[in-house]
Amino acid sequence: MEFAAFTARADDIDAEAADLAKTALVRDLFAAAGDDLSVVARFVQGRVFPAWDSTTLDIGPSLCYEAIARAAGQNVTAAAVEDRLAEMGEIGDVAASFDFGGQRGLAAFGSGGQSNLTVEGVDEALRALAAASGSGSQDRKLDTLFGLFNRCSPAEARYLARLVLAEMRIGVGEGTVRDAIAEAFLADAADAAAVRDDDADDEQVTAARERRDTAIETVERALQVSNDYGRVAVIARDEGETGLDAVQLEVGRPVQAMLAQAGTVLDALDAWGDVAVETKFDGARVQVHYDGGSENGEGDTDVSLFSRNMEDVTDALPEVVEFVEREVDVPVILDGEVVAVDDDGSPLPFQEILRRFRRKHDVDRMRDEVTVELRAFDCLHVDGDDLLAESVTDRHDRLTDLLGETDAVSNLLLTEDAEEIEAYEAEALDAGHEGIMLKNPDAPYSPGKRGKNWLKRKPDVETLDLVVTGAEWGEGRRATFLGTFLVSARVEESEDAEFRTLGKVATGITDERLAELTERLEPDIVAESGTQVDLRPTTVFEVGYEEIQQSPTYSSGYALRFPRFVEVREDKTPETADTLERVERLAEQQ
Amino acid sequence: MFKAIVSASTLRDALDSVSVLVEECKIRLNEDELAIRAVDPANVGMVDLSLEAAAFESYEADGGVIGVNLSRLEDIAGMANSGDLIQLELNEETRKLHIQIEGLSYTLALIDPDSIRQEPDIPDLDLPAEIVLEGNQMDRGIKAADMVSDHIRLRVDEEAEAFYIEAEGDTDDVDLKLTREDLIDFTSGPADSLFSLDYLKDMNKAIPSDAEVTIELGAEFPVKLHYEFGEGMGHVTYMLAPRIQSD
Repeated sequence: MEFAAFTARADDIDAEAADLAKTALVRDLFAAAGDDLSVVARFVQGRVFPAWDSTTLDIGPSLCYEAIARAAGQNVTAAAVEDRLAEMGEIGDVAASFDFGGQRGLAAFGSGGQSNLTVEGVDEALRALAAASGSGSQDRKLDTLFGLFNRCSPAEARYLARLVLAEMRIGVGEGTVRDAIAEAFLADAADAAAVRDDDADDEQVTAARERRDTAIETVERALQVSNDYGRVAVIARDEGETGLDAVQLEVGRPVQAMLAQAGTVLDALDAWGDVAVETKFDGARVQVHYDGGSENGEGDTDVSLFSRNMEDVTDALPEVVEFVEREVDVPVILDGEVVAVDDDGSPLPFQEILRRFRRKHDVDRMRDEVTVELRAFDCLHVDGDDLLAESVTDRHDRLTDLLGETDAVSNLLLTEDAEEIEAYEAEALDAGHEGIMLKNPDAPYSPGKRGKNWLKRKPDVETLDLVVTGAEWGEGRRATFLGTFLVSARVEESEDAEFRTLGKVATGITDERLAELTERLEPDIVAESGTQVDLRPTTVFEVGYEEIQQSPTYSSGYALRFPRFVEVREDKTPETADTLERVERLAEQQ
Repeated sequence: MFKAIVSASTLRDALDSVSVLVEECKIRLNEDELAIRAVDPANVGMVDLSLEAAAFESYEADGGVIGVNLSRLEDIAGMANSGDLIQLELNEETRKLHIQIEGLSYTLALIDPDSIRQEPDIPDLDLPAEIVLEGNQMDRGIKAADMVSDHIRLRVDEEAEAFYIEAEGDTDDVDLKLTREDLIDFTSGPADSLFSLDYLKDMNKAIPSDAEVTIELGAEFPVKLHYEFGEGMGHVTYMLAPRIQSD
């Protein structure tokens, strides 16, 4: 396809405001793309490389301005291009506003080679440019880019500049490309598009729409698995739905990570019954690809690690690579976090892992300073089996089979009991983790989706300022500390200060903090029986919770679900703490 | 098969003339000469180089082609003093080039020649004017032009029997006039073309200042620059496409 033909269609697509008509134009472009389909499917999104590939053109705006200046002609400087950019606001418009082609090519005099720019030629040139490295590579990049601009008409220049800076600005997103692939190459989707235009009756329209949706889902799945719009477009055209269904994960090509949204334990229990609960690690997300240690060239690492943005971070984390090579002997794709740990294996704050993640220099020195470990929580592929469609629990079983003997697999608790979840969370927080994840045990792995099947437990729906009226001595390591605190609400208009209990707070407190609190509250102890102590009301805690429910357990008649210590309210006294009336009102409002 | 010994300065002159245009190139190891032909990524400037077998202390080759990364090879050649001899030997099995310089030995990985841009055809141009001058005369003209512009105009005034190097900036202009007497040789003819200084400056860098440069020039046509190195046994021809003169 001539590059000019592509840019003319890009102009049409840009000019069309209606979504369906836009999709139809992209569909027509794909249908006409021939051998250039895979490139075109990427170009419309401003991409040269597929999404799984972390290669970039590595062309900064200034290099692009310089190339435009050189192609623009005599004594035009990069600064002049920037001035025009400030005036016009967008690089494509700027590129289109110059008259290129002043520099003639040797081809015009018989050196052979060049004719009009083609989609393929632009793609090849840009790829060669990305591959250039070493001394003088910036100059070569400039030469290449100048050579391309020099051969551009204004319309071509507009899109070349945008492509180079990875922003097409024609309003074509991933969804449009997906739908257009389906409409262009899958009969079911194409029919539906046709029915839409005709005056078919409602039933036919509905049926056609359903078929269209199924076809789009087929494309969507193949996209999720391959992360490559170009390849999926070609498979859809050449092999149809059967081909798309056969698209498999490939070790070494990262998939988009499944994401979680915030949610509460009660939401999760309501929605799913059983909940799969896991520790939420305070680390950096990492996708582990291992080819099973098969035949590789000397020095080639067979483990690749990718960040959430699919950046290759393998070189920064050698101990994770070594761990996987040591512990796993089949091809796998794992999802997890890398966490920084201290000498005992306890997690360190997130800042520590940042000192290691993406690091390019001094990896060995930093490895001595900060130890990182893998905490895997999901498994997308094992030894030829794609597991995306399997349930959370099945995938976790496969993961346990692989790495169960190590510390690298998160424990998965399957329960329908809120108390058990509470205890699990307390344990996770005590161990220094960020909190817990709640997962629908039956859910498949949906790459790139921030769906409802994974929830980060939202720690607090509300907070209350409550008075500490009692406590319990801890156990074991915490035997010398007050470990659990009884918190109460003030009864308004009571003659003497009167407090009614509302719940016990034991989570969200570090050991250091417990020591401080014990020292502070010990003088207030008025009575002790066993491990239980009564305290004179002096101190106000800010307490987070998920829900207030009616309960006979406490004297207020209410109980807090998932109470969590937030902070001591130094600015408050028992007289200004929250009242029972407020608690009642909040309970009403839920 | 390829095995050769060459002086460091000759090898460096050869490599420099090509590396101003491209990063990687194919080297043809012909029986009687080493030859390189390459065009820059924008297809604007071309180099055609040959280094006769006689330019080497010893030379054995049977017509193979290798692909090299020029800056890598230049770095290695840079390890030698100009009087040193450099020994080159191709290992056919490993497809690596063994380079020895005064006890230093270096094994250079080669590039698959098929992955390097195709060598250009040499345009068959009939250029009416020919100017022969010293490298430093051309250097002077290019330096002056570079002060005011990013373009340079080369032209012949047939009546005045002179060759002009001119540049026009936004505010300032320069021109260098070289008459028949100033030049080593001069064939007058209708010639007037505009060129990008980016390219000409780079080419000029590779030309030794004491070299005799032959400029072949036409009207709105590519310019050919020819010079010799390696005691007359190395030949370089540059070809540079013109810019369209706007008015």
